[in-house]
Amino acid sequence: MTPLDLAALLAHPANGGVRVVVEAAGAFAGVVVAPREAMLPPSGTGELAALTEPPPTAPWQQDALVRRVRDRGFHGLALSGAEVLGAGSRRLAVRLGLTVLEVDDAMALARAGWELVQGRDALTLGYVRRVAQSIEYSASHLADLLRHLSASVGHGVALIDAEGVLLEAGGHLPEAVRAAIDVGLWQDAVSVAEGAAASVRVDSPSRAGLRLAMFGAGLSPAQLSALAVAAEVAMPAVAARILIDEVADVSDAAVASGLLREFLEARDARDPDVEQRMSERGWRTGGYHLAFRIAGRRRLETLELLRFVRRGLATLPVDSQAVTSGRGVTGWLSFAEPPAASRLDEHVASLRRLHDGARRSFDVATGVGSLDSGAGGLLASIDGAVDGARIAATRAATGWFVRVDALGIEQVLLSWAGSDTFVPAAESLLAPLAAHGPELLETLTAYLDHESGVSATAAALGLHRNTVAMRIARAQELLGIDLTDTDARLALHLACRALR
Amino acid sequence: MRTLGPDLLPVLARGFSLLGSGGGGTTTLLELMAAQVVDGPVDLHDVDDLDPRTPCVAIGFAGSTYLLAERVPPPDAFASLLAAAERWTGVRAPAVCAMEGAGLNGLTPLLLSADRMLVDADLMGRALPGIDQLSLLVDAVPGAIVVADTGGGVMLVDSSRAGDAESLVRSSVIRAGGAGAVLIAGFTVGDLSVHGIPGTSSRALALGAADIGADDGGEARVLGRGRVSAVDAVPDDAFARSIELDGDDGTLLRLVARSEFLAVTRDGETIAASPEILVAIDSVSGDVLQVDALTLARHVRIAALDAPPWWLASTERLARVVPAAYGLSGLEVGR
Repeated sequence: MTPLDLAALLAHPANGGVRVVVEAAGAFAGVVVAPREAMLPPSGTGELAALTEPPPTAPWQQDALVRRVRDRGFHGLALSGAEVLGAGSRRLAVRLGLTVLEVDDAMALARAGWELVQGRDALTLGYVRRVAQSIEYSASHLADLLRHLSASVGHGVALIDAEGVLLEAGGHLPEAVRAAIDVGLWQDAVSVAEGAAASVRVDSPSRAGLRLAMFGAGLSPAQLSALAVAAEVAMPAVAARILIDEVADVSDAAVASGLLREFLEARDARDPDVEQRMSERGWRTGGYHLAFRIAGRRRLETLELLRFVRRGLATLPVDSQAVTSGRGVTGWLSFAEPPAASRLDEHVASLRRLHDGARRSFDVATGVGSLDSGAGGLLASIDGAVDGARIAATRAATGWFVRVDALGIEQVLLSWAGSDTFVPAAESLLAPLAAHGPELLETLTAYLDHESGVSATAAALGLHRNTVAMRIARAQELLGIDLTDTDARLALHLACRALR
Repeated sequence: MRTLGPDLLPVLARGFSLLGSGGGGTTTLLELMAAQVVDGPVDLHDVDDLDPRTPCVAIGFAGSTYLLAERVPPPDAFASLLAAAERWTGVRAPAVCAMEGAGLNGLTPLLLSADRMLVDADLMGRALPGIDQLSLLVDAVPGAIVVADTGGGVMLVDSSRAGDAESLVRSSVIRAGGAGAVLIAGFTVGDLSVHGIPGTSSRALALGAADIGADDGGEARVLGRGRVSAVDAVPDDAFARSIELDGDDGTLLRLVARSEFLAVTRDGETIAASPEILVAIDSVSGDVLQVDALTLARHVRIAALDAPPWWLASTERLARVVPAAYGLSGLEVGR
């Protein structure tokens, strides 16, 4: 007969709440239940005796109980109330080699022991039935499903791939255990010193190399093989859930994106239908808003970016929204009261960290708008963020990050310079340069942006400084403008910016 | 008959301490008081040496032995009790014996040795906590009366019910301030051979001279040696305690005690119990220890002395002194 391992018993999810009081023997031949010591069979063969009645209170009676249970040939004693055993009785148990366990429900312990020793099919069936109950449960997302699976199976559940743990519930899968799992096999059971896990490959068309693992410490081979079956049964539900979540994500992102577009396009003309839908999504227009836009500098997976941004926002202690929009993500932080300047700076710093994080995977530029209130304020802040992102797209020096509030005068001038009357004037001013190709205008703009520094301009454009000096001299000659005149310089700088 | 002299007092005192089974009080005070009376040889009469019809009294102190040391009893502590008893019985009792032949009470009859014959007998044969455990009251000897100090006055109980005597004497002792003199009268020397325990003082003399607790301790049965590792309270009994010893041979010894040691268990098995006389002796000093002297980390030897045969003669007598009589279950020897 397979010995009943103490570790396996402790790892069993329905063991009646067993805790170790004295650990002496590590394995038993089985479990015997009796109301009290006198009713145990007279000749045990190394079983665990589970008594349903509480132990006596007097110290010498507790000693006697320990001794008699051992004398009857048992290697373990499980009691409800074993924790009252005094130090002397515990020492006696150690000396006699009797493991003492505290248990809330001796009958459940006996059933768990029977499953582990004789009833392996019952063990497997028990797990499978509990998995089936989880499938019936309507989970709101993948993490919820894993949590529910873990709660009903009674062990940790994790979704892993070759690199690491993607999601886990009901415990932490030790790295050593994860590393030991053979990702090539359909089904795999591993047991190392740190713990044990049974895993099965998840067939998902959208994400390859995923595995569903059920894990715990001290699991016996019988429990692992039963858990492997449970994982196989649970796997299709998990795979389906991954698909459902992806489809739901895509459609939700599309709806949100459309709603934001309608809101932005309506400008000040309030559309009650749009407002209704916004409040249904939890987008508050009241209060104060700080908008940001993370825009791709080239084509990118906006949905992936959205997931990344939402994960980042979830860690911030403020109400936030993020929506895909065009080739990027637009979002905002909402506050009921205007935050203090220092708090606001902290929030911008958080957004900066989010941007820096995003740049590790995506080529993006981020603009942050100014703090503003109400629906109109939200619009203005988003506009600012969009402008900021556009400016940031060319600002390697600031790490592709621009906060519009910090732009100040440039922002003002730029918005003015972008007006309908100025653009034709700027075009005619710079017409002589345009005739000689785009490189003169480009060089002049960079030169003015870099405070008339030839070296800095050369570095920014990747040219030799002589080339820059020559082009500036040529442009000055063509335009007939003295660049040392501050008025003329400003006008020229604005014209260059307006046409860029 | 044998002769006692001042030189034998320490031996006698150690012997009575051993019979105290951890209770009965330390003998120092009575040794000092007896030394005032015993300044020469004193005859110790065997029960059979005297005329069986000789009226006799038994004396002792009841209550807290600590209070006795704080408030030393006067030399004539028993005078008013004797007067009351002799007035009730109508005869002078020329013989005196111990009420409890153990602890300090083993020496109390010496206080009356100047004008009464000392009889080598007592009513318990060891230390016991209750007046209802006096052999004369257990056997309900007709005519036996109990007189107790009430702190200035005396109280006399003439009842065939041992429980009444215990209850009334206990209240009287409490009125007297927690400790007081007690006297039993209304019996003869002849009664002692059947309803008393003869030879207790001789036994004390023999025990006091022997090296009890050594491996060949003569009469004593050595139960174990060890270091006190815990002193635990016992749930449901405020007066009981369980003293846990780490045995030198690795076993777990446990002494269960109330005012005396009542049982010894080794590894969960009861190996000795009242009325066997259980003794704890300090391994270093050789002192006979009272229950409350067994403190943490003290190293002691535990030995058992045979129970007085009187208690084992019938199940009724035995039932008064086994641990179960004190409400402590699970301490039957051999279970």
